[in-house]
Amino acid sequence: MEYIVETNKLTKRFGKEYAVEALDLKIPKGEIYGFLGPNGAGKTTTIRMLLGLMRPTLGSIQIFGKDLTRERIDILKKVGSLVENPSYYPHLTAYENLEALRKIYGVPKKRIDEVLKIVRLSDVRNKKVKGFSLGMKQRLGIAASLLNNPELLILDEPTNGLDPSGIIEIRNLIKRLATEEGMTILISSHLLSEIDQIANHVGIISKGKMIFQDSIEVMRRQSQNKILLKVNDCKMAWNFLISNGIEADFSLESISLLDRKDENVAMVVRLLVENGFSIYRVEEEKRTLEDTFLQMTTEERAI
Amino acid sequence: MIGKLILTDLMKIRRKGIWFLAVLGPFGVVALQMVNYGLRKDWFIQQDTYSWFYYIRNVNAFTPFALVLGIVILTSFMASIENETNSWKQIIALPVSKWSVYLSKYTTLTILLVFATCLLTLFSVCFGIFLGLEGEVLFLDLIKYSFYTFLASMPILGLQLWISIISQNQGIPITFGVIGVILTYMAYFLPDWMIWKWPSLENQWDEPLINACFGLAVGLAIYVFGMLDFIRRDVK
Ligand SMILES: Nc1ncnc2c1ncn2[C@@H]1O[C@H](COP(=O)(O)OP(=O)(O)OP(=O)(O)O)[C@@H](O)[C@H]1O
Ligand SMILES: [Mg+2]
Repeated sequence: MEYIVETNKLTKRFGKEYAVEALDLKIPKGEIYGFLGPNGAGKTTTIRMLLGLMRPTLGSIQIFGKDLTRERIDILKKVGSLVENPSYYPHLTAYENLEALRKIYGVPKKRIDEVLKIVRLSDVRNKKVKGFSLGMKQRLGIAASLLNNPELLILDEPTNGLDPSGIIEIRNLIKRLATEEGMTILISSHLLSEIDQIANHVGIISKGKMIFQDSIEVMRRQSQNKILLKVNDCKMAWNFLISNGIEADFSLESISLLDRKDENVAMVVRLLVENGFSIYRVEEEKRTLEDTFLQMTTEERAI
Repeated sequence: MIGKLILTDLMKIRRKGIWFLAVLGPFGVVALQMVNYGLRKDWFIQQDTYSWFYYIRNVNAFTPFALVLGIVILTSFMASIENETNSWKQIIALPVSKWSVYLSKYTTLTILLVFATCLLTLFSVCFGIFLGLEGEVLFLDLIKYSFYTFLASMPILGLQLWISIISQNQGIPITFGVIGVILTYMAYFLPDWMIWKWPSLENQWDEPLINACFGLAVGLAIYVFGMLDFIRRDVK
């Protein structure tokens, strides 16, 4: 797989605290990568390092296959970003704010009108940003990140401060950018529900460490409802099922079956009973993606 | 690249009243002489000091004070434009080198200050001619006193810019700057090595050129130091 962003043991320490620790981030080309983690997990710090705003304590970053420290300027020409709260000049108009950035990118002036239209700010292009609502400022920030037609778009909590219809709009925009323009997009959030609907890849970070990184299907599979069996000797029963070619997991004094079909459950129960195991309980465990996310991040916290 | 950055920096200071300040400063300095000569014209004539030579020195008595105050205000303004919504992170994420961002701020300030210095020379000449002072107009003297003062205050410019840019709270550079303004005002009592004395163009050898040259050299050294520190720092 071709990776647009690849970090190696990326680490950032503030004083004695590790904000990011040995992170191996891998963002495949053309994907929407959801970067998830609770508050203070290290998402923004990671993003700052990806943009060259902060120097890693350890580790390296490759973007477009180039080393960030050596070819920072070349890389940033093709990267658009919005980090934390949007930055703007309140005394300038929306148009002037974008013009200040456009001059440096050297893209044609009509690109400003294009991006203003994309985020639906064309009507207020000549109004001072001072008077904008939070959501409008956020849109302006997104417009700014699109100015240079980036190949990699990095958005840190982009739906912050947007109303529900604004959130849906931005979500659709992000999907469209990925499918129509082929952009690779990194989008961070502390809400799974935000990422769930658009991302096809997820990385979950907690306390600075990556605790899960794969496609969202893999995460979904882990979150499927399962049948739990409690038996007198779980370990032995599990070994027995496995040797009979039945897919089962062994965890915490119970056996879980991924195949929830009635016939399958019936067959497993029969097999166990016929072979002398005592079945105490057969229950269905209902888990959502959210539960998996919560479990992952709290397990880490408990350690 | 640096040219584009300066253009955007000039764009960002629009509607902030910064250009107005750059006009107000030199006007204020000459206005003080309007009061001075308005009240004491006869006395000057009586003392035989109603000439360009003394007029230029009278103007220059207030230039350092106004210039240093101007530097403090402008540098803090300049930094607060970026600090206000922390747009440093936006600028540094652009395909530009960090040193050029810093150089652009410095150059923009220099443009403003040179503009103010030119105005000061212009206003001084105009009022001097209006007064009908004795003798030839000492253009060289005029330019010398305006621009030497500017060169001699470059270390203060470098220092204030660096402090303003690295301070989240603009109270720090303003406080530091006000102390500097007071020191400049008391230049007469300061030892020669203190940078706040330099704009007064006073020194034990009575040679203003020394202050200008040291100002330029030390000013550039402080600029380089500030820039290297800015490059080294993480952007919040
Ligand atoms: N400049 C800094 N100096 C010291 N500590 C910092 C700094 N920036 C971040 N941290 C610490 O690093 C940790 C990670 O912060 P970070 O902002 O990356 O979290 P986050 O995942 O973006 O959280 P959120 O969802 O709240 O935005 C936090 O514990 C924070 O206190
Ligand atoms: Mg954050």
